[in-house]
Amino acid sequence: MKMEFIVSFTILPFRELFEINRENERVMVEISRGTVINTASFLLLLSLAFAPDLGYGQEPMSIQSFVAVENNYDTRTDNLSFGFGEQDLLMTADLADKMSFLGETVFRYSSGFQIGVERIIVKYNYKGNHNILLGRRHTPLNYWNDIYHHGRLFFPTTSRPTTFTYHIIPIHTNGISLQGHNLGKMKFGYDVMLGNGLGSSSEMVDNDKNKSISTAIHVKPADGLRIGASIYKDKLASGAITRQGTAVRPIDQRIISAHVAYFSSSIEFLAETSMATNKDDSASANTMASYIYLGYKMDKLIPYIRYDYLDVGKEEMYYNNTDRYVFVAVLGVRYEVSYQAVVKVEFMYSEKETTGPSDVVNFQLAIGF
Amino acid sequence: MKVLETDNSNKLMLLVARRSFVMCFVLLALLAGPYGHADDGALAIISNSKGAPEEMSISEMKDVFKGERQRWSDGTKVVIALMKTTTTIGNSTAQKLYKMSDQELNKYWLGLVFQGKAKAPKFFSSESELKDYVTETPGAIGVIGLISLGEGKSVLIDGNKSF
Repeated sequence: MKMEFIVSFTILPFRELFEINRENERVMVEISRGTVINTASFLLLLSLAFAPDLGYGQEPMSIQSFVAVENNYDTRTDNLSFGFGEQDLLMTADLADKMSFLGETVFRYSSGFQIGVERIIVKYNYKGNHNILLGRRHTPLNYWNDIYHHGRLFFPTTSRPTTFTYHIIPIHTNGISLQGHNLGKMKFGYDVMLGNGLGSSSEMVDNDKNKSISTAIHVKPADGLRIGASIYKDKLASGAITRQGTAVRPIDQRIISAHVAYFSSSIEFLAETSMATNKDDSASANTMASYIYLGYKMDKLIPYIRYDYLDVGKEEMYYNNTDRYVFVAVLGVRYEVSYQAVVKVEFMYSEKETTGPSDVVNFQLAIGF
Repeated sequence: MKVLETDNSNKLMLLVARRSFVMCFVLLALLAGPYGHADDGALAIISNSKGAPEEMSISEMKDVFKGERQRWSDGTKVVIALMKTTTTIGNSTAQKLYKMSDQELNKYWLGLVFQGKAKAPKFFSSESELKDYVTETPGAIGVIGLISLGEGKSVLIDGNKSF
């Protein structure tokens, strides 16, 4: 199968590129910041223009698909539902010797069928294991977001932890990153990302001149072990969209996260915690979200447990604070039919401040090919 | 007296039987040695003239084949060539090099490509195809059976031709 894939860029003068006319407001992004991003785009294009021709069809684009079929039974409502999860299409291609492309598009049902562009990344490998990434990616803040993305086939449980469902960390960021991995004996890795940040109603346009900065580091001192930490900083302008509605005053946001992951031939262990501090000129709030996962691998069968805890700050002005605390306990079993198919059955007990306890039995068949 | 003679003759018989057994075992081991080793799945690393060094340590080799290295020290892109996991050599590669089952190895690469951290290896059905590909592709490195290597040049692993 031969496919043609065209990536197009529009080069505009710096000033024109970053002057965005949005109905009644005109936002001018600082030229200094724009220059960095635009210069990087230009260099990437230049390297593509002078790259040796790989030959059409000789370096094929790869397309992979990940799908999940899901059922759940809610004991509280005594209701059994048949459903399906996301259909995830992953495309990868080599554009030149040092340049590659990755795109991840998801088709899902959420009040109607929707298409979500999850990742669009043009990667330039400038030296050794050091890369520049341009585009939209999963914010490199924690292990789950950096490793599993939307692939249910790789998720150790049927769903993401509460950290994600309550949007404690910004899942996506559009911007430019520097990334390095497997450096030195400790296999050190880093990610530094400058992005649009939170608060915009559009995925394509930043609502203010403030940029988010994500910095993440990790080491892999032993086979299967990864230890990492990250910090995310952003400033939301007044009027920015928050999880509560719109920001009345400018908000300073800082999220500090840490993780330990160990996946061996028998033990699977993953623990992550994120502490978010949101401040405006009248209050400050700390919100904490953590989870711990433990699985024991017996060939193809993996019994597991997961425990999530969310504690939303009393004075919280960014996150949804309808539920001040959420507790989730998961007990399940995963059966790896093959590398392309996994079956998971789990019992999930959750307790929320507003709705009280609930029990759900989840079934998931996740495939990838 | 007769009992003593019978005891001695029994001891002698036992001694002869033991020594014969040991001799036969040593002979069999010597005869089967090189063939048995090859059948056991001894593997060799081959590389393109551009890119890979002439010798590597086992840990360096594992890092390269796990997709943890993007470029060789001369700047050439690392390209991994493996036998399909359905082949004997591919299965042996999964177990000896990756310490994984064939299914685990496939999932490992599927995951790595999905994360955007590495490019999938080129998988081959025959060792001759793999050897041709490595010869023609700058930066390529691959795994074949020691028998298929013959007198050909390989990357030494901790000073050894095979592992």
